[in-house]
Amino acid sequence: MTAPASVPAPAATAKAAASAAATPPPRPAGRWKPWLAFGVIAVITAVTLSPQLGIAFSLDAIARNWQNGAAKIVQLLQPDWSFFPRTIPPMLETLEMAVIATAVSTLIALPLSLWAARLTNPHWVGRGIVRVILNIVRAVPELLYAAILVAMVGVGALPGILALVLFNVGIIVKLVSEAIESNDAGPLEAARAAGGTQAQINRAVALPDVWPSFVNQVLYVLELNVRSGTVLGLVGAGGIGLLIDAVRTYFRYDQLSVIILEVLVVVILLELVSSAIRKRLV
Amino acid sequence: MSAVAPPRPSRTRGRVVASIVVVVVVIAFWSVDINWARLGNLPAEIVRYLWLMFSAPDWSKLGEALYQTWRSVEMAWVGTVFGIIVATPLSFLAAKGFGPPPVQAALRGVFAVIRAVPEIIIAIIILSVTGLTPLTGALALAVGGIGTLGKWGFESIDGVPRGPIEAVRAAGGSTSQVLRWGVWPSASPEFLSFWLYRFEINVRASAVLGLIGVGGIGDMLTSYTQYRQWGVVGMLLIVVVIVTIALDAISGAIRRRITEGAPVHDLER
Repeated sequence: MTAPASVPAPAATAKAAASAAATPPPRPAGRWKPWLAFGVIAVITAVTLSPQLGIAFSLDAIARNWQNGAAKIVQLLQPDWSFFPRTIPPMLETLEMAVIATAVSTLIALPLSLWAARLTNPHWVGRGIVRVILNIVRAVPELLYAAILVAMVGVGALPGILALVLFNVGIIVKLVSEAIESNDAGPLEAARAAGGTQAQINRAVALPDVWPSFVNQVLYVLELNVRSGTVLGLVGAGGIGLLIDAVRTYFRYDQLSVIILEVLVVVILLELVSSAIRKRLV
Repeated sequence: MSAVAPPRPSRTRGRVVASIVVVVVVIAFWSVDINWARLGNLPAEIVRYLWLMFSAPDWSKLGEALYQTWRSVEMAWVGTVFGIIVATPLSFLAAKGFGPPPVQAALRGVFAVIRAVPEIIIAIIILSVTGLTPLTGALALAVGGIGTLGKWGFESIDGVPRGPIEAVRAAGGSTSQVLRWGVWPSASPEFLSFWLYRFEINVRASAVLGLIGVGGIGDMLTSYTQYRQWGVVGMLLIVVVIVTIALDAISGAIRRRITEGAPVHDLER
């Protein structure tokens, strides 16, 4: 194997000489940028953890109360099953609230999403107004709405449903109007060329097009509603959250764990069902 | 030859589904415990409260509101950072081909369970250790973050092209070198972008966690709602909306920069 090396071909010698003389290409500029970003993140984290400016992170409290926490976790691991029957009616209320909120917000969101998309509403003023309002509505979490609505209309399922509807309309309209915009504009233009009014175009062309993505988002919102419907009761807005609030005030973590397990089962079941439906849609 | 129209596609299934949906909705409306009579004057009531809140927002408490907002954002930040620190190694273990299969399955189960539990319940469990402090909120967000970050993480690692990984292995790379040079370069934009996305989620969730008393803007909002000082509530809502939209805009801009790359300044022809 030494022969080729001792008698190299002329081309190879030239190549080797060239590579020896050539300097490696310069390192790409801007390699300091990730380090800068990392530094900024580290500084912010240090500030947020500091006792004066931040949330006063201390292992001290954890070390002191470790026993307490461990006892609670032991309680959590021993669910009090005799509590289970009492959790069923509030759980049903949570599901009812989720279904009603989904239904109502679907009815409100369908016209609004057509209103908020460029292809189905060429007038930018109306579109802009809807979008701005919904951006503002979406910025507030549903539990804060619920807390305020409970003070307005009183304790019960109604403020919970209203809070969910507010939040849902924001999400559905955003996602569906984005889906409309990503659709092919061709059929809509064809319908316009055929002399259809915007309403006719939306009804005959846009609607069938967005239908799958609309159903998809509605299912997604139903899942969200069940999930957040379980905690709305913490502020008095109905459902199983009321019970969570009650058992947490008495530190009955053995009962809390029954509720958590129930929420888990319901949420995961719903996820399975809706993903099965989604597969059929696509 | 008269053409025969093709038979209409069967609509039975659609009708069955539609009627099931209608029945479920009707049952829900029927059985829910709401005093429907009150619904009539609801719009007027809501308009009245909106007027109370926004006709004259009470700006005298703005200083405290900003301080509490800062505390909420801190909770969100610390929760995100801790979540990332714990979730990233776990998501590598949960990805195909890196952890042992039983660990993989177990971790995926853990992520799913965490995602099904609302952060506020996680916080209720954690507060038995750390009390009603912002730290509780941050830890709850961190644990909640493990569920989502872990899932997104292993999904994006599963989606990484196998070529570079095999190349690093063939060159004799250890597992950590495979992760650094085979996985990280193609997975990092996605990782960075969902870290930012989780921060956006945490900003909203941290406001909510205030409701159980761990501090922050949510805490302040519930107090003033209970005092029925609607002017302050209106001001707080305005602060929440502006801060959330601003942070979303910043984080969204960074995310777009990461996933779409640098803007092209000039093209040499």
